[in-house]
Amino acid sequence: MTPPRLPLSRQPLRLIHDRIATGLITAGGIGVLLAILAIGVFLVWETLPLLTFGDALSLNTLSPLAWGTLKAALAAMLFATPIALGAAMYSALFMSARLRGRIKPMLELMEAIPGVVVGFIAGLLLAPWVEQHLASTLLVLVWLPLSAGLAGMLWYVASAKVRQWLPLSWAGVWLMPWLAIMITLALWLAPLLEHAWFGGDLRRMLDQQYGLDYATRNALIVGIAMGFAVIPSIYSLAEDALADVPANLMEGAQALGASRWQALWKVALPTAGPGVFSAVMIGAGRAVGETMIVVMASGNTALFSASPFEGLRSLSASIAIELPEASPGGMTYHLLIFAALALFLFTFLVNTLAEVVRQRLRQRYQRLGGNR
Amino acid sequence: MKGNRLTRHCGRIQRCYRLLVAIAWLLCCTVAVGQPTSVSGTLGAVGSDTMAGLMLRWGEALDHRHPDINLQFQAGGSASAPTALVAGTTRFGPMSRPMSDTERQQFIERYGYPPRELKVARDALLLVVHRHNPLASLTREQADAIFSTSLDCGGLRPIRRWEQLLPSEQWPYGKIALHGRNLASGTHGLFQDRALCNGQFRRDISEHPGSSAVIAAVGESPNAMGYAGYNHLNSMVRALPLIDDTGHAIRPSVATIQDDTYPLSRDLYLYVNLPPGDTLPPAEQAFIELIFSEEGQQIVQAAGFVPLSQAQRQPPLLAP
Repeated sequence: MTPPRLPLSRQPLRLIHDRIATGLITAGGIGVLLAILAIGVFLVWETLPLLTFGDALSLNTLSPLAWGTLKAALAAMLFATPIALGAAMYSALFMSARLRGRIKPMLELMEAIPGVVVGFIAGLLLAPWVEQHLASTLLVLVWLPLSAGLAGMLWYVASAKVRQWLPLSWAGVWLMPWLAIMITLALWLAPLLEHAWFGGDLRRMLDQQYGLDYATRNALIVGIAMGFAVIPSIYSLAEDALADVPANLMEGAQALGASRWQALWKVALPTAGPGVFSAVMIGAGRAVGETMIVVMASGNTALFSASPFEGLRSLSASIAIELPEASPGGMTYHLLIFAALALFLFTFLVNTLAEVVRQRLRQRYQRLGGNR
Repeated sequence: MKGNRLTRHCGRIQRCYRLLVAIAWLLCCTVAVGQPTSVSGTLGAVGSDTMAGLMLRWGEALDHRHPDINLQFQAGGSASAPTALVAGTTRFGPMSRPMSDTERQQFIERYGYPPRELKVARDALLLVVHRHNPLASLTREQADAIFSTSLDCGGLRPIRRWEQLLPSEQWPYGKIALHGRNLASGTHGLFQDRALCNGQFRRDISEHPGSSAVIAAVGESPNAMGYAGYNHLNSMVRALPLIDDTGHAIRPSVATIQDDTYPLSRDLYLYVNLPPGDTLPPAEQAFIELIFSEEGQQIVQAAGFVPLSQAQRQPPLLAP
């Protein structure tokens, strides 16, 4: 379809408008690119003096921080990826359209919660509570997914009448009271189980039997808090990728006799795989760069430990805490700039990779005849 | 339509005229009246964020006494004060630790005379534990053995667990969870210098960006111990008395901090860029007078620090 013809006399003006707009946009794009390049050059330039200080020292100081960054990101991804991808698969392919229209914006709104607020809640409310109720927390973390599975099994064996009354497309709503009951049950059971299995105090047993330390602010807390912050971005991108799988593919699969579940695993996921992958990558990029949650919930101890119950210290948190008081030109200052450079390179690479993969996916959808 | 525009025009001219008259009037007033009676000006200060609250309150009191004086304080940490003094961007540098020799040398190289050092208030570092913790007191060797790896204060072996401090108690047990300040803060440096005999900190101390965060972390965790500034003490935690060289347990209080018997007490400083033999301009002088007045020292107490004892309250820069 061709756009409606404009009267000849107005066409040149429109062309000028177009030119100006295009020029401005191009200039903006080039400006952003230059800014990113300038940041990179500045960081490299400020890191160079470090070479004269000797690199052994800087490696020693920075490696626990790099480890802490990875540990925090890993913990967050372990918590967030299953939840976010599960939610994305369900809401893209199973959920009723009416429910999806409400839930999706709400989940995406979660992204608007500032990191400071999440970190504050995690550090000052969640961490002390978990320290005092460690067994309950661990039980809830294990029991919640299991009880969701249990609900699925019960639904599978239930009669057709029950299934009609509790349709799969509304499971997101009717599972909530079920999960609430299950959490209450777990919280009620936890002290009894702790008494029976761990001699009344799980932390004391961890300490005496395995020599495991428990710090109030630890990787577990950071994982939960940062996972919470990362879920919306992973969910949103993965959901878009899954929902954009060309409808004719899904319909074709189901017309050939595949169940919805089979269509999801054999058609939707392989097709949208790159999109899902890039969603996870962008989530990981955010988890690595996230600062305030780690500052407030991690204890900032530069340790080399793999234990989920011990603290950690990330590159970004170190920069936030130490840079304001590091005298420019000193060793600490250059080390922190080096940390910033490492962080910049990592997030830049991860985000670029994710974006490239997403572009590929978009082209694939166009080839497959997607109608969006 | 036309008439309307005309009146609007008229109104604008009239307003301009009134404004001009007002400005002229104001100028006359300031020239005639402002100069001799009141002190005015803007004071700048750059330095310690420990003292930020104190400087703010002093600034308010100064504003109350002399409405024309305006104190602008920039909190960038104690390390920022010497930098700003040397650069000449400020005359006042509040610091929560004494200037180091290199910092003093830099100042002398730039100006040819040392900065004037004023002790404006007293402060102390506290060792705090959870409010229900039964531990009675600590020796300085124990404090060092808990927080350091180097044991420079004379302890024999590191103390890692509560059982080593409280052998018969059922609670608290297990590892001592340690909390402290971040590397670049003056509190961290002072604790390292005074409590660890300049030794090395353990690596597993949780580092917090502020003393109140340390107090909050210790207050919510029964097996924790931490160090923090005196002004952040609250009822969530208990400050441990320290046993001095003569074997007496010294509780941190206003009296023991004032006369320096509490081992971890310190001065808070205000460094002033003043050439020897010169006097300060009146606005700066008014600020110094306020600090050493009864009102100024009450503000010190209100800000959570310890005021100077009567003998220490001589304002040393008063005009001859």
